[in-house]
Amino acid sequence: MSLRNDTKPWLSGGFGLVILASIPAVLFVGALIFFTVWVVTFSFTDLSLVGAKSVNWSWIGFDNYERLFTRRGFMESLWVTVSFTFFSAIVGQSLLGFLLASVMRALRGPLRGFIEVAIMLGWLLPDIVAAFLWSATTAENGLINSVVLGPLGFDSVNFLNEFAFPVVVVANVWKGTAWSYLLFSAALDSVPRDVIEAAQVDGATWWQRTRRVTLPMIKSHIGTNTLFITIWTFTYFPLVYAMTGGGPGRQTKVLSIFMYEQSFKIGKLGYGSAISVAMLLVVGLLAVFYVRLLKEPE
Amino acid sequence: MSDVLLSGVSKDYGAVNVIPSIDLHIKAGELVVFVGPSGCGKSTLLRMIAGLEHVTRGDISIGGTRVNDVAASSRGIAMVFQSYALYPHMTVYQNMAFGLELARTPKAEIEKQVRDAARILQIEPLLDRRPKALSGGQRQRVAIGRAIVRNPKVFLFDEPLSNLDASLRGQTRVEIAHLHHSLGATMIYVTHDQTEAMTLADRIVVLNKGNIEQVGTPLELYGKPVNTFVAGFIANQPMNMLDVVAENRGGKIVLKLDGGAEIEAETPMAERARTLGIRPEDVVLVDSGKGPLTGTVSVVEHLGENALIHMTLTGGQEFIVKVDGAPDLAIGAEVSVALVPGRAHVFDANGHALREGDTQVA
Repeated sequence: MSLRNDTKPWLSGGFGLVILASIPAVLFVGALIFFTVWVVTFSFTDLSLVGAKSVNWSWIGFDNYERLFTRRGFMESLWVTVSFTFFSAIVGQSLLGFLLASVMRALRGPLRGFIEVAIMLGWLLPDIVAAFLWSATTAENGLINSVVLGPLGFDSVNFLNEFAFPVVVVANVWKGTAWSYLLFSAALDSVPRDVIEAAQVDGATWWQRTRRVTLPMIKSHIGTNTLFITIWTFTYFPLVYAMTGGGPGRQTKVLSIFMYEQSFKIGKLGYGSAISVAMLLVVGLLAVFYVRLLKEPE
Repeated sequence: MSDVLLSGVSKDYGAVNVIPSIDLHIKAGELVVFVGPSGCGKSTLLRMIAGLEHVTRGDISIGGTRVNDVAASSRGIAMVFQSYALYPHMTVYQNMAFGLELARTPKAEIEKQVRDAARILQIEPLLDRRPKALSGGQRQRVAIGRAIVRNPKVFLFDEPLSNLDASLRGQTRVEIAHLHHSLGATMIYVTHDQTEAMTLADRIVVLNKGNIEQVGTPLELYGKPVNTFVAGFIANQPMNMLDVVAENRGGKIVLKLDGGAEIEAETPMAERARTLGIRPEDVVLVDSGKGPLTGTVSVVEHLGENALIHMTLTGGQEFIVKVDGAPDLAIGAEVSVALVPGRAHVFDANGHALREGDTQVA
């Protein structure tokens, strides 16, 4: 064809070159698949971290998966994880992020900058530092007890012990709201001012404008946000582990902590792999659910 | 149908005053067009009437009631936005019904009103579609339909045709005129397009830098512009503005141009004239030397039914002449123009029109 450019892109030079150029991609995808296949494979074995079974492991079929349901631990942790994800991410971060984003739109000047920086700080702090801060704040001789409860004459409370789950939820809301805030700020920018004003002329109150105009218009953003924070929170490990180690008891033992303990503290790598596969399945199902939800009705 | 009264209406954005003070009475049933260049305050004024913008000082009354502190939805207005501002997630029917629904109108009543409006605007087949499945013209009809359904006392249009292509714009313009005639409602219409202003308006309000330059019927503004701004803004082709020096020769005022040309003024008020304004259509082309202004042709723009002849006068000023048909003129040819009596405008040093028996009303 005469339309063909004289200077060929170098990639069209030949088959060998194409293969050469695709090596990094193949390696990358290969590594991803390798680890998944590794985990799936060993979830059907009794591989251990140490001892005889770390070398002479054997196939045990679906035993590990059976244990997920018959032995104590997995179902309890699944429930903790689902509650943790629901309260700290889907309700806490999403709702707070959206409310902050809507309120801050009306705000201009230094106050807005100050609040935005404050929101970001939680996000930017390393998980371990954040965990330490929250422990120090809520401990028996921590900030809340010595500054608020003490002067008011109350006995000091070890929040991390007595209200472990709520404290962890609040800490994660504090830590992760910045993401939802940013995403919803961008989403609200995509809603034309005219449309909101038209609703105002039509007689919609702030709540009606939000519920019947704004929210439906940013539906896809809500879906994307929920998808992301669900995946992140469902597999979230460091903040919770550093604050409570999963305790007291099983109160804050999310699946990632449970998996870590089974694999590396107790040393049952095979069982740990089965837990990982189960987590993958749950998150995968949730993702499919959200993506379905996002589809525009025709 | 209600009148709208603005008295001393002023708007500040922070420390910046964008509208100093506006007094205007829009009569019930009238279609008034706010026209002016970008940033003249016309949209701000409309938005203040709508209740979407706070009034800094002064009062706005609709139908005799002061509405400064009344919410937009309770003012009895409906607004058509430049971007149409349809709710993208609702069907055409839902878009039009939304306001009534919020007002808890019975379902049967909503259905009737929406269908009626849809019939007027010929959008009945589109009622189940979403805005993204509509063309620009159809969207604009839906936006107008949404306004009609509210049965407002005053319709507000904010540059409603700007996003349409030229042919659709002409068509929709005629439809809005029809609508005004059949509904008999008060309408306020904002545009920067003087053609829309001329063709639609009962009265035009020309705005510049937040001030009203002139209020009048389209023909008043065309025939008797009060200043050079209005003269330049109202008309398809801007008025030719020539710098002149006035000289009193025994009671006759003679206006002298650069290059030696002289024109005898028709009014003794022209003694203070600094600018002579002549519309391109208010002159006739004559053989060289047969008229007071002479120059050479620089460009001829043929528009079919008429043509614009750009010429450079002997004094160096540019001058445009509009002639019927397709004149056979070579570039560089020397021609003269003669003035149509009674059609020239003279302005003083401040740009104000000098006209006999005129009291300047703004």
